[in-house]
Amino acid sequence: MKTPLSWLRGYVDIPETPDVLAELLPMLGLGVESVDGAGDDAVFDFEIASNRPDLLSLIGLAREMAAWRRRDVRLPEDRLDEHDPAASTLTSVQITDAALCARYVAHVISGVTVGPSPAWLTARLEAAGVRPINNIVDATNYVMLEWGQPQHAFDLDTLTEHRIVVRPARAGEQLVTLDGVTRDLDAQTLVIADARRAVALAGIMGGAATEIGPGTRRVLLEAASFAPASVRRTSRRLGLRTEASARFERGLDPESAARAARRCAQLIAELAGGRVHRGGVDAYPRPVSRPTITLRLPRLRRVLGMTVPVGDAEAILTRLGVELHREGDLLRATPPIGRRDLEREEDLIEEVVRHYGYERIPETLPVEALHQGRRASRLDTEASARDALIRAGLTEAFTISLVSPRLLERLGLDEGDPWRDPVPLRNPLTSDHTHLRPCLLPGLLEAVRVNVSHRREAVHFFDIGRVFARRRGGSGGVDERHALALALRGRWITGDWRHDGGDRDVTFFHLRGVLETLFAELRTGPLVIRPARRAWLHPSRSGDVVFRDEVIGAAGELHPDVAARFDLPGRTVVAEMTLTGVLEHAVTQPRFSGFPRFPAVRRDVAVVAAEALPHADVESAIREIAGTLLESVELFDVYAGPPLAQGQRNLAYTLIFRAHDRTLAGEEVDGVIRKIHEALPERLPVTIRL
Amino acid sequence: MADEIDRLVEETMTALRSVDTPEELETVRRGALGRRGTLAGLMAKLPRMPADKRAAFGARLNGARAAIEEALNGRAAELSARVAVSRVEAERVDVTLPGLRAPVGRRHILRRTLDEVERIFMGLGFEVVEGPEVETEEFNFERLNMPADHPARDTQDTFYLNDDLLLRTQSTAVDTRVMLERRPPMRIVTSGRCYRRDTVDATHMPVFHQVDGFMVGERITFADLKGVLATFAREMFGPQTRTRFQPSYFPFTEPSAELAVTFEGRWLELGGCGMFHPRVLEMGGIDPERYTAFAFGLGVDRPAMVRYGIPDIRLFWENDLRLLGQF
Repeated sequence: MKTPLSWLRGYVDIPETPDVLAELLPMLGLGVESVDGAGDDAVFDFEIASNRPDLLSLIGLAREMAAWRRRDVRLPEDRLDEHDPAASTLTSVQITDAALCARYVAHVISGVTVGPSPAWLTARLEAAGVRPINNIVDATNYVMLEWGQPQHAFDLDTLTEHRIVVRPARAGEQLVTLDGVTRDLDAQTLVIADARRAVALAGIMGGAATEIGPGTRRVLLEAASFAPASVRRTSRRLGLRTEASARFERGLDPESAARAARRCAQLIAELAGGRVHRGGVDAYPRPVSRPTITLRLPRLRRVLGMTVPVGDAEAILTRLGVELHREGDLLRATPPIGRRDLEREEDLIEEVVRHYGYERIPETLPVEALHQGRRASRLDTEASARDALIRAGLTEAFTISLVSPRLLERLGLDEGDPWRDPVPLRNPLTSDHTHLRPCLLPGLLEAVRVNVSHRREAVHFFDIGRVFARRRGGSGGVDERHALALALRGRWITGDWRHDGGDRDVTFFHLRGVLETLFAELRTGPLVIRPARRAWLHPSRSGDVVFRDEVIGAAGELHPDVAARFDLPGRTVVAEMTLTGVLEHAVTQPRFSGFPRFPAVRRDVAVVAAEALPHADVESAIREIAGTLLESVELFDVYAGPPLAQGQRNLAYTLIFRAHDRTLAGEEVDGVIRKIHEALPERLPVTIRL
Repeated sequence: MADEIDRLVEETMTALRSVDTPEELETVRRGALGRRGTLAGLMAKLPRMPADKRAAFGARLNGARAAIEEALNGRAAELSARVAVSRVEAERVDVTLPGLRAPVGRRHILRRTLDEVERIFMGLGFEVVEGPEVETEEFNFERLNMPADHPARDTQDTFYLNDDLLLRTQSTAVDTRVMLERRPPMRIVTSGRCYRRDTVDATHMPVFHQVDGFMVGERITFADLKGVLATFAREMFGPQTRTRFQPSYFPFTEPSAELAVTFEGRWLELGGCGMFHPRVLEMGGIDPERYTAFAFGLGVDRPAMVRYGIPDIRLFWENDLRLLGQF
């Protein structure tokens, strides 16, 4: 709201300088966007909250200033001269739906001479950012700025049958608005019509056919109250926002219309000559009553946590135009016309404290039973998972939860992969953020790409975040799950200058090691990865991640084609899985399990088998055959090469045996080892190396 | 004879001085003390000695043997010490070579901020909860006193999935869910992602973070709100931090305020707050006559930018390790 300070000073004394005002007014909730000019020429641009249409007026602003400094407001005098014949003999107003138009006040002024406005008026309008047109239109704009009530002037003699009908537009109806644009109307559009056709968009803009021109002699002046939702919808649909629509959208008080219309009719008569016809026409099907609100002083104290002297509360509310009378601890309040936002006690409490000063409220801490703060357990477990991954050496990435099919396509997903069916946004803003992400990996690979493009070769990322999928069953619902993704590439150790350091880049087994660490830290039970193929993974270096007999994700080396689509040269190892179930089964409050009381016996077992035979099969067979005395199996060496045949490998295991109730005898363990030597080759195509 | 013994001892001592290896030492030992050595030859003469000199001669021989053995052992110890020194010498490494560094994991800078905020509120007795990011009109707007066509909805341009589902525009939506599930008193804080249809630029992203909290009780006041947020601000930004509460408008609080704090000589906008509107409490099944409640919603991303000197909000989402590695 552009507000010339000199104009505002016409309604209330404001001795403060513009600089002081700019600093202090925000403490009232009046945001100052900018101040142009200095001294008397200063023009404030106020930022007005959406519930305060009254502050889109000089009088509304004057009341704020008055309450703030306990000064008095000077309202313009009503000295309207009315003449016969009565307006009701010259025009009529019909409202078809009172829900869309609560009130329509029309005045008729005849014998006007259209011409330019006097300089003092055009200066004020221009300072307020409104372009002067002619004395009639300028009067309506002037009063809109003064009282906050938009008005419109029609050339009465252009209105068919000289009458007004407020109705929804008819299908196919058109209107050329004042800006010269032909508007297609629909049944959702509320229009002002004459007997035949639409002549204005209600609350937004007038029509070209009925506008005030040099030859206009008789004016029909409109001051109405339109439903905010209707104005808002039409204004958005047409992309047409005006000073009028901005006010109507915030919900104007129907009670404001008559007063502003009288003021405007008087001003037109003063500026353009002519006579205002008696009475006007006031179509007001269901007059609204002004509420009486009770402010309980103890409640004021209870909400604020401090006492505002009752004299201050009364002075503030009165200056805001509230009519008050006090009954002991109660203030009975009737808000002024134009303050529909004051509906209940809390609204009055806010008015009092706003003008009393937020800064005068003390800072206290709640009087409540001592209470230990904590985190919901799922959040706690998720934090443990993040912590485990960070301790394992990974860095957390934050990736956007909105994706595009274009990004997902880079994964080269199979037909029927659920990731190919992400949840779309109905109103996306940009082409790269059109869907909710079904998985984390593409965003994470983008993060890897950014770093690789900066020649950062070693990247070890993880991301724990929400992913989204359509709920099964076609209900239109959306499931949110928590997922984990990893992406690792480049060196694991930084600064390795050793000549014989071997293959220093991370491999699938680094990735797997991180996941094993995670599962061990969460104490969820062992990680299982089963050989399996995914379109986005290297066909022979990939597997399913299985948790409690359910496939929860996949891990492996990124498929070379996918890597190429993300501009990632060399190898990148990745994993993505649902974390929800894993977190549910995590144990975050472990107990000490004691040290073993009896010594262990250690034996090694080595087998030769085809390379295609998974280690996991050998290990689980050993476990089954060995039985309960076996405490652990650890693979300590894998060898392929001479003297073994091509395609064969040697797997060497260390087995630890222990009994919980006695010291194991060597012979007993030797018996178990013999059993393994005999039974293992029967179960699996392996030979024992002795 | 006695001269022969002295000569043996003397020659052995001389030989030992030039011994440099265990092998040479063994040669000397064998020459002096071995079965066919000098001492053995002298011992062989003992039986033929006159009986009266035999005892004295024997004693001298034993003395010579002891002296030689002691010298041999001493030299042996010297030699092995020298070997150990040279072996250790051969193991020398260049300690000026660079170290091998295992990767050090890090939290994302926004996580660090969120964790810090949550920690402070937990210290003030708040319980940290979470809620869905895909919300309904009801919980994101209606239960926060923003019915359809409410003008305040304009300021929160919303991503919709369908007529009812949307991406939450504020984490305050979680408050409305918690109120339905629990009974007062409540002291709740939640943090997470929110979404608005904002064009991406240096200070806007369509996805951003908020921390939202509220407290319901029989004696909760606006003064408590100021006290809790001022305490938070001092913990977060340092003990000298000042807070500023300016009147504002939110449909779900009355009175409402904007919170700003001093940081490096400027006011830093943190978010909005106020006393929950009685209608919001009523919709949450809480009697607004008996209970009062304060609520606050704080930005995370933009305050973090200012606090850590990050010039562009997009840097949070690029995950450039040159940035993440600095925190």
